[in-house]
Parts: sequence; structure tokens; C-alpha cells
Amino acid sequence: MTDMATKSRLEKLLGVTCSVVACSETEWRSMQESADVMNEQALSIELGGKVYFRWHQKVGSDVELLTVESDRLTGAERALIEWILQSSQLSNKEGSHKSGSSEEQRANQLGQWIHGKLGGQYTGVQDEELPESIGLKSRLLPSMIPFLLVSEHPQLTHTTYTELYKLLKSYFGGEVYLIPLEEKEWLILCAEELLASAEDREEDGSEKPEEALALFCEGLYELLSNEWLGECHLAISNPMVPAHTLLSTVGLLRETMYLGRAFHVTSNIHLPWMLHMERLINSIPDGVRRQFIDRVLSRSDVFLDPETLTTLEAFFLLDCNVSDTAKKLYIHRNTLLYRLDKIKQETGLDVRTFGDAVLVKLILLLYKVTKRK
Amino acid sequence: MAGVKLEHIYKKYAGSDKATVIDVNLDIQDKEFLVLVGPSGCGKSTTLRMIAGLEEISEGKLYIGDRVVNDVAPKDRDIAMVFQSYALYPHMNVYQNMAFGLKLRKFKKDDIDKRVREAAKILDIEHLLDRKPKALSGGQRQRVALGRAIVREPQVFLMDEPLSNLDAKLRGQMRAEISKLAKRLETTVIYVTHDQIEAMTMGDRIVVMKDGIIQQAASPDILYNHPTNIFVAGFIGAPTMNFIEGDLSEQGGAVRFRATGLDVEVPAGKAQALKDKGYIGKKVILGVRPEDMHEEPVFLEASPNSIFSAHVEVSENLGHEMLLYLNGVGKDSVIARVDGRSNTKEGQNIKLAIDMNKIHVFDKDSELNVFQYEV
Repeated sequence: MTDMATKSRLEKLLGVTCSVVACSETEWRSMQESADVMNEQALSIELGGKVYFRWHQKVGSDVELLTVESDRLTGAERALIEWILQSSQLSNKEGSHKSGSSEEQRANQLGQWIHGKLGGQYTGVQDEELPESIGLKSRLLPSMIPFLLVSEHPQLTHTTYTELYKLLKSYFGGEVYLIPLEEKEWLILCAEELLASAEDREEDGSEKPEEALALFCEGLYELLSNEWLGECHLAISNPMVPAHTLLSTVGLLRETMYLGRAFHVTSNIHLPWMLHMERLINSIPDGVRRQFIDRVLSRSDVFLDPETLTTLEAFFLLDCNVSDTAKKLYIHRNTLLYRLDKIKQETGLDVRTFGDAVLVKLILLLYKVTKRK
Repeated sequence: MAGVKLEHIYKKYAGSDKATVIDVNLDIQDKEFLVLVGPSGCGKSTTLRMIAGLEEISEGKLYIGDRVVNDVAPKDRDIAMVFQSYALYPHMNVYQNMAFGLKLRKFKKDDIDKRVREAAKILDIEHLLDRKPKALSGGQRQRVALGRAIVREPQVFLMDEPLSNLDAKLRGQMRAEISKLAKRLETTVIYVTHDQIEAMTMGDRIVVMKDGIIQQAASPDILYNHPTNIFVAGFIGAPTMNFIEGDLSEQGGAVRFRATGLDVEVPAGKAQALKDKGYIGKKVILGVRPEDMHEEPVFLEASPNSIFSAHVEVSENLGHEMLLYLNGVGKDSVIARVDGRSNTKEGQNIKLAIDMNKIHVFDKDSELNVFQYEV
């Protein structure tokens, strides 16, 4: 199990939030002194209302500390965490000799650095240059395409880093980085040159970069669903230089993943440039959302009917084109017109007019993230 | 190659109180071409995705061959999938796209080359092997996606509306090609579609689903001529079957069906079955396919007990046939499919006769076909 997985498990079991901070060996010693801990081998100290567990000695010189508010832990829980960390460190030491490749160790180191900086958050992320102690830094200077992969497949625990890394390496055919982030979450970085390799000799290259990126995301999803564990979620973003903007990119990808999964539950591929309206709506407080729905609609249950929902979603997807929507839904044009008229009768909103279509589109999006009675 | 067996399969999503797929039992034979068909949200794609391993099975057992594969990852199920939103690997050319799955499975180079070239020949894309996906048309991309599945020589092919992104002409062409391909490869195919023409023309057996439940699983012929209930009767066939609500009564030993604008005699064989099942004096729903209403004088002369009059509201001449939208029979309008050379015009009052040997009678409450087909 990765360190991140251990941390997530602990948080779940104890019902507390843990964070990870890095410090030098000297700083750790001075913290021990401040906490009046004489035993240098002690795995935890209590200082300033927090318990600090010596969690991990990374490949670089820094020590990573797991911190928990001291009033959230009983003595027995603290002892138990010490014991778990001790066992985990022991098995990591053994494991690193047996299996963990140096590539995996470097990837873990970067993943832990990202985790230390971001935790699981994605908003308000400040960029920070990768520190020199990160083993992969020198290789992360060129521009790369970032993907965020999330899989909740029940068999995930049986798969290994190496298995997924090998698959990605043979797929991309060149330099690729697989960085474990949270449990079930990976960052994938591949060379930007790959985009150019999708161009055909005879092509004029008139495709928008976003279209090319979307195709790459679809291709990678196809690969993972066929050749890996099946169901997974992927987000992609524009190429960037990981050494400089890794934190904000992870933040953006996580936000994209969150918005995509909240607003488009049947989609597995999430693209940040397709979620502008969703991002805006997500930022509106729940009370204001409900107020808006109540003001616009006399009956708020109209759009809960699955047939109405499917009809409207297809209608908006096809730019309010009646013929195309009827074709897509395998219904007669008149049936579609009847359904749209029925919606108009029940809500007073005629989605064939621009203004009402915008309102209904907003309501549909609000429905997906608004708590209703 | 292998058969696929679904035993009491359920799919229930977290947070939903109703199952999406309910107690599905299917025994798909080796080399069978099985089509799952039904309206949006009927559970057909979810069923296919469970077979593919892309969705977890909530309850029940899934067998591919003799092996229970509920907990087997998709890559280890020996299946190949082609979906509506097929995506090719954009940075690889057609050859590499088709070869990649085999390369991962450590096939020998010569073997990979042989399989790719053979599949390319079958799909007529040999001249495209060096091209990147971006330089291909929609139809060509679809063929490559099929090729990628074919080279694997899997035990089972799973296809989820693979033709729905193609235009009508190409769709017709690819439909025939997939059917030919399945026969040539002698493999088991499970194919999901909305399109009943695809279902009727491609499937050895069709499974009609509604609200997560199998309504009927039968050959296209049985499904069309012996639908088990009103839903199947209405879903299969275009234009759809006409449904007329009316009463059954006995008069001088003969059983008659009466509804607004219609008073027809039920043939002896069917009449006896209706009597035996206690339907005389009850309300039932008569089902008549549009092609079982005739306006030819010869037919009218031969069927004096099933003649009715109607007003032609709309006529659509499709060349080889004409569709007449008729008023005056039952509560709603009915559709008759007559010969394309007919002189019938809109606004006319005409006489037609029903081929009573081909009628269907449905129970008004259960909506089941009174004349259930027995093998």
C-alpha cells in the first residue's frame, strides 16, 4: 500500500483529518527538543496542540511528518498509529529491496510532494517550482500533456504500479510518467510531441489543439477500458511544463474531474474547456441555486421525469435542432415537438427560443448539484 | 469461441432504489448473433457493459464458456468490444492500431502481421494501413475499430450501437458487412441497438428489453409474428402495429370483434381459443399490422367478414408501397400499408379488409398476447 493509501485509511478509520508536512532532520530534532522528547527514536511528539508523527524519510533528505490535532486523538489511537507507521516503514524498507523500481520510488516521491502541498484540494492552488530534491525534476522541464486518471474498480487493489506503467509506456511509446496521487488517483504525463505524431502526412493540421487533446483522452480511455481494469475516469489539460506549473495543473485536473463527474454522470472523459458553465454554477451557494430554481419554475419536479431529461439533454447537445434531436432519440419529429410543447405548457418555458433555452439549460445543470426536498 | 450465459443478473446503482437490470436470464449459444434491443434506458447497454466487465454485476452469475467471469477484468475475459463512441489511438497508424492489442499480449511479429493483414483484407482497408486516424472518414474509422476487435479472435464480440454515428447509407452497408463478418468468423456476437431494422436483419435471436426486464427473446420471425405482449408488438415493426380497443361477442356461433367503425368476424381457430380462455363478452385490444389491411378488390371479395370503411387523412407514397393514415376506426388513427401503385388519394373514403388470420388479440389488463406462441 502506498503512503497516501495508508494516510487515507487512517483518516477513514479514525474520522480525523491528517496532513503531511516536510521538514529537515535538524528541524525535527529541534521540534523533539521543544516537545521535551529525549528519545531520538520516538515516532511522535506533541507540540502546539498537534501530534506530529515521524512518517517517512524520503529519497531526498527531508523528513515527512503526519500531523493530527491532538484533541482528536486518544492515547491508544496515538500508540496504534505509531505501531502502524512502524510496520508500514518496515514493509516499505523490505519492499524497496524486492520490488519498487527506482522509477516508482521517484514517482512516489513526487506524488508525496504534491500531496504535501495540496492534500486533496483543487481550489485556490498556488504554483510552486519543483524543489531540487525531487528526483524527477530534471526530466520534467519539457512541455508535457497531463492526464488525471481515477479508477474505483474493485480489483484495483490487485493491480500494481508496474503493470499500469508498462501499459502506458508501450502505448505512448516514449517517455511517460505515472505519479500516484491519492488512493485510486494517478497523474500521467506524456511528451507534448505526441500531439504532432497524430498528424498525417496528408493533413493540413487545421485541427484545434483542444480537439487533438480530446482525441488523445478518448484513445487513452479506450486503452484503459480494454486493456486494464475497465471502468475509469480521465481528465486532460493543455500541455504545460511540470517543473513550473504542476500544482495548478493537478488542481485544474481535479476540479475538472469533480465537475465532470458531478454534472455529467454518464461520462468518463472530462475536458476542462467543456465545463465552463458547470464551473460557474458550482461556485454559486446552494441557497442561491434553490432560490433561482424556485423563482423560475412554478413546479420544480417537471425536469425530474427521465423522458423529459433525456429529451432536453439531446436537444441542447444538438444545438436545439429538432430534426437532429428526433433522429438521435429515434422518435418522430412530431413526437419531439409534442414533448417540447408539453414542457412549455408545464413550465411556461419554450426551449425553442434562445432565452428560455438558456434558462432551462441552467436549471438542468443546477438540478444536478442542488439539494432538493 | 464460446457461449455466454447470464443467470439471474441484476444491476443496481448505489443511491437508486430501483434496479436498472432485473433478473436477466439468457443462454447465448456459441456462434450465435444475439441482438439486444429496446428504448433508451431499458438496460440493454448496461447488460452489455456487465458482460464486458465495464460495470460490476450487483447479483447473479455471468459465464463466458464454462468460466464464471463476474470478477475477471475486461482484458482477461477474452472478449472484444466495439462501441458507439469507438476511439482509435490517434498517434498510431491503422496498422499499429490493429496490432497494439496483440503486441500487448506478446504475440509473435509474424503472427501479428498475418492477422492484421487478413483483417484489413476482410474489411477492405488494406490501402489505409499507413494512415493515421485523423486522415480517415467516419466509415473507415469504424472499420478500423472493427479490425482491432477482429484481430484478437476473441471468444465473444460485444458491440454497442457501433453504427449509430454513421450516416444512413453507410449504416446500411456496414450492417450487411458485420453480418457477413460474423458468419465468416463463426464467432458469438452480442449486439446492442435502438434500431429495429438492424435487430431484425442481423440477429439470429433478438432480445427485447423494457425497464430492465426481458420482454421476449426469440428469432426475428417469431418476434414479428408472435409478439408476447403489446410492448413487443408495438416496438417491432415500422410503421408500428395498429391497436384497436373493442369487445368480443358471440353471434350465431361466430365470434365477432366490435369497435368504433369496425365489426369483424374472428376466424374459427382463433375464435375457439378466445372462447376457451373466457374472453367472450370482454374488452380486448386487437392488434393489426399495417400490411395486413388490404384494399385490393380481390381481397375484399374474399373477405366479406372483415371489411371496414375509413377516411384517408394522409397518404404517403414511398414508391414501392403507400402508407395510408386512416380515420374512423377505433379511437386513434390507424395505418395501412398498401401497394405503391394504388390510386387512393387523401380525403377519400375507402373500403379495406383485414387479414383476420394474422390478427393479434391482447388482454386489456395484462397486455399479454392471448395467442401465446409455443415452441
